[in-house]
Amino acid sequence: MSTNNPVSSTTGRPLVGLLFRTKLRSLRNRVYQAVDEAPLRVAVTVLLISVIWYGLFQLFHLVFQQLKRSPLEATVAIPLVFNFFFVAMLVMLTFSNAIIAYGSLFGKKESSYLLSSPLSPLDVVTLKYVESLVIASWGLVLLGFPLMMSMAEIADSQLFYVLFLAFFLAFIPIPAAMGLLLAWGCALFVPRRVTRSLAILIGLTVSVLVVLGVRSMQVGDAAVELWLRSFQAKMSFLQAAFLPNKWVAAGIDNALHDRMSLSLLYLGVTAANALFLSWFAVRKVAGRFTPALDRAASGQSSGRRIASQASGGLAGSIFFYLPLPLRLVAAKDLRTFMRDPMQWSQLAILFGLLALYLTNMPTLRVQLSGWGWYLVIPFLNLCAVSLILATFTCRFVFPLVSLEGQKLWLVGLLPIPRGKVLYAKFAFAMTVTVGVAVGAMTMAIVILDLTAVWAAVHLIVILAICVALCGTSVGIGARLPMFGEINAARIANGLGGTTNLLTSLGLTSVLLAAIGLATWRCRFLPIDAPPDLGSLLICVSSAILGASAGIVALRLGIRHFNRIDV
Amino acid sequence: MTQAENETTIVLANARKCYGRNVAVKGLSLEIKQGELFAFLGPNGAGKTTTIKMIVGLLQPNAGDVYVCGHHIGSNGLAAKARMAYVPDQPFLYEKLTGREFLYFVAEMFGVSVETRDHRLESLLSRLDITEFLDQLTESYSHGMKQKIVIAAALLHDPSVLVIDEPMVGLDPRTIRAVKNLFVEQTQRGGTVFMSTHTLDIAEAVADRIGIINKGELIAVGTLEELRSQAAREHSLEEIFLQLTEANEYE
Repeated sequence: MSTNNPVSSTTGRPLVGLLFRTKLRSLRNRVYQAVDEAPLRVAVTVLLISVIWYGLFQLFHLVFQQLKRSPLEATVAIPLVFNFFFVAMLVMLTFSNAIIAYGSLFGKKESSYLLSSPLSPLDVVTLKYVESLVIASWGLVLLGFPLMMSMAEIADSQLFYVLFLAFFLAFIPIPAAMGLLLAWGCALFVPRRVTRSLAILIGLTVSVLVVLGVRSMQVGDAAVELWLRSFQAKMSFLQAAFLPNKWVAAGIDNALHDRMSLSLLYLGVTAANALFLSWFAVRKVAGRFTPALDRAASGQSSGRRIASQASGGLAGSIFFYLPLPLRLVAAKDLRTFMRDPMQWSQLAILFGLLALYLTNMPTLRVQLSGWGWYLVIPFLNLCAVSLILATFTCRFVFPLVSLEGQKLWLVGLLPIPRGKVLYAKFAFAMTVTVGVAVGAMTMAIVILDLTAVWAAVHLIVILAICVALCGTSVGIGARLPMFGEINAARIANGLGGTTNLLTSLGLTSVLLAAIGLATWRCRFLPIDAPPDLGSLLICVSSAILGASAGIVALRLGIRHFNRIDV
Repeated sequence: MTQAENETTIVLANARKCYGRNVAVKGLSLEIKQGELFAFLGPNGAGKTTTIKMIVGLLQPNAGDVYVCGHHIGSNGLAAKARMAYVPDQPFLYEKLTGREFLYFVAEMFGVSVETRDHRLESLLSRLDITEFLDQLTESYSHGMKQKIVIAAALLHDPSVLVIDEPMVGLDPRTIRAVKNLFVEQTQRGGTVFMSTHTLDIAEAVADRIGIINKGELIAVGTLEELRSQAAREHSLEEIFLQLTEANEYE
């Protein structure tokens, strides 16, 4: 035992720099490992991001070129669009930061490890704050680049690039700080009901947005100008001077028109508020981090038993059609899904936003009921629902088989052929995806008042896409598993996950392209007319193709799973 | 116990911890002295890990106080933690760091100079036999390899108090011997080791005192001889443990 213990000097010394260096080293190792072990995956990821960037750039470019032709509308529309964009970002980033911050502050062993060392809670919270900010917001910054580049073409100043980026960077700490406070508040004040509280908050927010959206869109056949004015008046509260979205939208608009001093003023306001809010949030959370961690760890839900029984009963009865052992496996997966807010909250957010969009469609119909649009909008809905489903199956369904890795001895001892376990996984995935996808498509069909034949076509196609995506994800999940890994996100990012992502995207694209072709063929038909025979054949064939692909993938997975050594 | 026996390094004063309505630790009072190797035994769910987490400041007692090296863990936790090391039952490592990078990180966190770090590492690496895999990412390690790295990290800054939850799980017999020796040497140099374990023969072999907790209550504490007299039987620690916990069960 050393008498002059060297550690005494570390007490109170800020070690946040060491934590960040360690995290960066960890990131560097991760990148090297990815490039060494899966160069193809890295190349495909970069390629896909580039394609998405280019696509977005072209889309934004088209929109802004169109706006440039009518400067008056651009003057009104651009600040308004940015206001809405940043309001949506504020809400979404606050929730995603809250979920990420809660997981990393209270759900991981790392926080406990760091707090058992001579690190101050301030160092730990600062690290976790920056981590959740980067993880939740990097997508916004990356996707903001094509928007910025396309806008810059109509900007009056070259400084626009710098200012646009600066506004993004100044904005993102605001929702990050609010998310941090929200996560901490949940742990400290409702430690026994975190899941329920977050669900209620997300549900309330989505409901408010849907109601606001519906209210703002009740415009009947009013002329565009009148509608715009009425819409602006209804949404004026979103442009209140104290809201961050107002500062950013006004700042970008001023940068766009070369009013630099005004733009810089708004940038200063945004940055100052972001810094203050970040400082306040980190200090506040650090000040009572240990009690919050303690309450998160020692809180036990008083209602958990009732909720467990309810979800257990529901899970058991939904799969009544499966034989008992498979029913138990499927019910176990459904229970896990329902008790994991990381899973269901992502699905709820994606489909909540979709619901918001769908409830806004009646207004679009006023403008788009003419040539072909009558069918194009439902087709775009089908695309949106399919892509959301693909995201869900790649992220949550694909890892299901790998996650059984630690329990393979149990699966191997079940009194059924081992491969049949995959049917249970498939049944679980179909139950969740069909429930939300058919619900969303039915909503869209009713709102758009689609004819019976087209409604049936869209419902059959979305069912086929569910079969294709679930079958592919379970099948490839069994063919290229990562049994040693217990982190679902890492499983989804592995070689198998990337293969599944590409296959799912490819399959969905082919099916949607076929439906797109049928839609294009019917563009000149009267609104109430059913599709011609050729188009109908294309739709039916693509549905059969999609479902068959899913079933083939599932069977291949089963065959491989039967041969695995347990 | 060898030196400075009268200095108390860990004090639990009527510490109580509840999880909701479930009382995990019921007013535990215990003092561990400098240079002592204390083995903390108990059945599953008895409150061992909760007690350990209160000692290292990860859980706050609902009532009572915890002191480490004279510092109140709630109000002056940083000073206490600077002189303490904790090895949890599930070893934590940054998966995308190599073992060496992790050890360097811990050394820097505790303010250990590069020379001291390298000197101590040289000895620990050879005694725990971890040189071979030190430069691999820790995500590829087995449980035992992780445990070795975590134990090395805990000893790297020569802590005054070492708190360990189930240290021998996943270790091979050779490493178990090495770890036992390291712990004994730590106490011989005046350090305190607080070890929770289910491996009774290790507790019997190395512990200066043994505490047995059951259902959140400390039902016995003392040297092996004192426990034997308490159980009124000349038996092994295993039989004493079973007798005491069983008796407590019936009460």
